[in-house]
Amino acid sequence: MADVRDILELERPPTPEITKEAILGVSEKKKIKPKKAHEPMKRPEGMHRELFALLYTDNMDAAPIFPTDTGQGYKQMKAKLGMRKVRPWKWMPFTNPARKDGAVFHHWRRVADEGKEYPFAQFNKQVNIPTYTDNEYRAALATGVPGVTAGGPEGWSREETDHLMDLCRRFDLRFPVIHDRWDRSQFPERSVEDLKERYYEICSLLAVLRGQETKTYVFDADHERRRKEQLRRLFDRTPDQIEEEQTLLNELRKIEARKKEREKKTQDLQKLITAADSQVESRKAERKVNKKKLLHHPLRPRPDATAVETAGIKFPDFKSTGVSLRSQRMKLPASVGQKKTKAIEHLLHELNIELNPMPTEEISIHFNELRSDMVLLYELKTALATCEFELQTLRHQYEALNPGKTLAIPTSVSSVADKSLATSSSSTVTSGGQQGLPVGAVTDAQKQQKPISEIIDVVGSPGTPPGVACS
Amino acid sequence: MDYAADTGGRFKGVTIVKPIVYGNIARYFGKKREEDGHTHQWTVYVKPYRNEDMSSYVKKVHFKLHDSYANPNRVVSKPPYEVTETGWGEFEIVIKIYFLDQNERPMTLYHALKLFQTGPDVMLVKKTLVSEFYEEIVFQDPTLQMQSYLSTTHPLTIGPWKHETDFEEKKEKTLQNILNAKNKIRYEIADLKDRLKLAKETIAKFKGEIGKVQISNPAISNNGASL
Repeated sequence: MADVRDILELERPPTPEITKEAILGVSEKKKIKPKKAHEPMKRPEGMHRELFALLYTDNMDAAPIFPTDTGQGYKQMKAKLGMRKVRPWKWMPFTNPARKDGAVFHHWRRVADEGKEYPFAQFNKQVNIPTYTDNEYRAALATGVPGVTAGGPEGWSREETDHLMDLCRRFDLRFPVIHDRWDRSQFPERSVEDLKERYYEICSLLAVLRGQETKTYVFDADHERRRKEQLRRLFDRTPDQIEEEQTLLNELRKIEARKKEREKKTQDLQKLITAADSQVESRKAERKVNKKKLLHHPLRPRPDATAVETAGIKFPDFKSTGVSLRSQRMKLPASVGQKKTKAIEHLLHELNIELNPMPTEEISIHFNELRSDMVLLYELKTALATCEFELQTLRHQYEALNPGKTLAIPTSVSSVADKSLATSSSSTVTSGGQQGLPVGAVTDAQKQQKPISEIIDVVGSPGTPPGVACS
Repeated sequence: MDYAADTGGRFKGVTIVKPIVYGNIARYFGKKREEDGHTHQWTVYVKPYRNEDMSSYVKKVHFKLHDSYANPNRVVSKPPYEVTETGWGEFEIVIKIYFLDQNERPMTLYHALKLFQTGPDVMLVKKTLVSEFYEEIVFQDPTLQMQSYLSTTHPLTIGPWKHETDFEEKKEKTLQNILNAKNKIRYEIADLKDRLKLAKETIAKFKGEIGKVQISNPAISNNGASL
């Protein structure tokens, strides 16, 4: 609100200014300066707004050039902190109920709290350690009631048991301490678990004997021993062992990742095969429709021929209004990766087709379809290479499992690249040398022997799985 | 059609295609010219593929030459749309075609000026070199105005209209080539697909076999698992 007033240069109400005086509570004394009716000072021409703002603040007072704070400051002011009365303290004696000797100590305490119990006494918790008579010991603890073994191979004597119960009472069931104070001169060495086992055994036996319905702790000493052993082993590992464990875990993770990848690839493969199926069939159907349409509407550009492409290249639909060049429609979309683009170019070169053929309507349609098919071919080939690799891996796995036996990979699966390449290269040499055919003829012959797909170099396809040689 | 709509109105679903030919011819002087070192005279051009007057729908054609030319921006507003120059080097010429209706945006072609023979023709001692290309301007949903411009065309000459390159033959050949290639690729796709199917089945079979061995002989099954 004040800002708006400032902007409109209205008179400000004299209250809401926070000053030191206001905070320290002397606002009564503050005299409200009568506001001078000042003429708004115009900013001189050419002066920057920032500079003007330094000279003339919001209330148009000139900035002070020497200190104006002439008040008494903090010297005579008394800070008013806390309005309540002081509660008195008193030096008084107290006894701690945890102590048996009734020693009296003194401490400062509020007068109001005089006579109350020592506040920390509530933390003095006593454990209820059961006691037993001679009869009870003989009846239950020495022999054990039927079903519960007492004594056992370790053989707890009456004296030893007494000693244990005594320590339990003295150290409030702090078994490590009990174990530490165990009288090793009279009694055999016992582990913490042994002590606990005996103690809880006695508790439960007495409860059974007396017919008490208190909850008894079931102490599984064996489990506890095994747990501690486990922890001890974990703690005792050498750095080498830790490292080995780490590498093993990493290996496991890698194996699992690879397995996942393979599964994913298998799924992709199925998709690809379906795509290849539908591609060829749908294209055939489309072609017929296209021809008919083309005859009837010679000016109509591309009927929805490439709209339903399942795999391969998705060319953008040129349906937008305006002028365009036909050759624009043959541009490969950016979604086609570099590898695939390279493969397409290579194939086109091999098939003796220009990279940018004459852009008539018919050619552009077929050219786009051709390149889409090429990408599908490329994908199929990549997939096949992966499959071959997997087959070899599986075969070697089988051979390792079942020495002396092997699995036969059907020959039609594996590519015939080696064979055809060998023949074609030899034919080049012989025909070129003996008959002196023109260069074009040789390449033609070569091409007929070699399937087109062999031209595609599926980058990264492993011929033989690594590690096969050594396994 | 309502004439009031001629500013923004378009013929929906109508497509008009105007085939054109663009490129350059170049002639070697036979020697290097003394005064400026130029070796060739060349002409870059845009002309209709069919015998029709392009000026009925083209406002102007803008040829952008290399910056080293005195005034590299050459504007030709009536046929023939061509620029003749001399020079010694090849560069890319930007050809921009403006249409009579300003609502249709101009089309840009890029032509690499060719002066020197390459490829199989390099040995031919032909004085004139032709490097021209076929292109089609597609008017999708033309404006009403543009549509009328496009449909009223007059023949450019009374005599026969022909090009340096036989585009009809080239078209046939290219199409045939592409169709052949397509069949070839189709065939291989089918083949690869079958092989892939077989491979997949074999993989499944192998896995089954390995599974059987592992069950019958679990002791060594851990050895192979790391593969």
